[in-house]
Amino acid sequence: MERASGGLLATSQQDPALSGNGKWLAVISDLRGRQTVQLRNVINGSIQALPQLKRHQPHSSPSLSWNGRYIALITQHGRRRMAVIADRLNGRLHPIQLPGGRDPIQVSLAPDAQTLALQVTDQGLWRVEIFDLSDVLEIDRPAGQALSTPPLTPAP
Amino acid sequence: MKMVSLSLGLLILIAGCSGERPRPRPELNGLLRQSVSSRRDPSLAQVWLASLGKRGGRERIELIDLRNRRPVPLPGLNRADAQPISLSVSGDGARIAVVQQRDDRTELFLYRRNAAALQRIPLDPPGVPRSVSLDGSGRLLAVEVSRNGRWDVDLIRLP
Repeated sequence: MERASGGLLATSQQDPALSGNGKWLAVISDLRGRQTVQLRNVINGSIQALPQLKRHQPHSSPSLSWNGRYIALITQHGRRRMAVIADRLNGRLHPIQLPGGRDPIQVSLAPDAQTLALQVTDQGLWRVEIFDLSDVLEIDRPAGQALSTPPLTPAP
Repeated sequence: MKMVSLSLGLLILIAGCSGERPRPRPELNGLLRQSVSSRRDPSLAQVWLASLGKRGGRERIELIDLRNRRPVPLPGLNRADAQPISLSVSGDGARIAVVQQRDDRTELFLYRRNAAALQRIPLDPPGVPRSVSLDGSGRLLAVEVSRNGRWDVDLIRLP
């Protein structure tokens, strides 16, 4: 067993999420009293910066795609909680709009980043809702996985 | 100024109409509401959704095959005397890591579907587990553990 090494300022680590390939670990750390997501390289322990998520703490419920390109989590915007997905490749931040005043509680991103599951509160009850992200995010697939290119037709 | 606000309005309109937004899956979401009074703790794999569904006041771990939108049997996983707290499913849906409470003890388990076997994963040093995450292969596990009033994250490699 290994222990995820804490940063110098981290006093606690919660809500762990591994990337599909097992190379990245996201945790929520208490940094100067603010619940902040940290992304660690599991192999060498280095911490990756997530500039697009610097504001809007507290963070909770991180979830990573296969190669850790995308990180989904719950943030705070003013008085409202909001689910967002950060793209580490191009720095974009995708907010997930929830109609009807429902609050997001927990999030899970499929490894290929094409589907999102959200736990929300709806009239005092917990629900899980599924969203299709195929119009929003590129696929984050395992390295070396074959693309769905049509097979070459043999020459006559 | 008028030009700027007009351009901004146009931009918002274009963004709103571009269709590049998450689309709810009504057929799946309807199914997820059926027959449970509440549902929480979703864990998505490629074609699998694991979650905790509450029926008759009791929470059970459910695994749904998203291809045919049907729950799959999980023999030996949901014990009548155990309360599930957190779960995570591997990429191929073959393994489910579960934190559950039974007889005032909160413990970490790994469920293997092909063997229908629930195996306790010991924590060293001992602690109280809470939130859990499996990687895609189901062979690396991260778990939040309370020890002496502090939350740590342990990484555990599984055979």
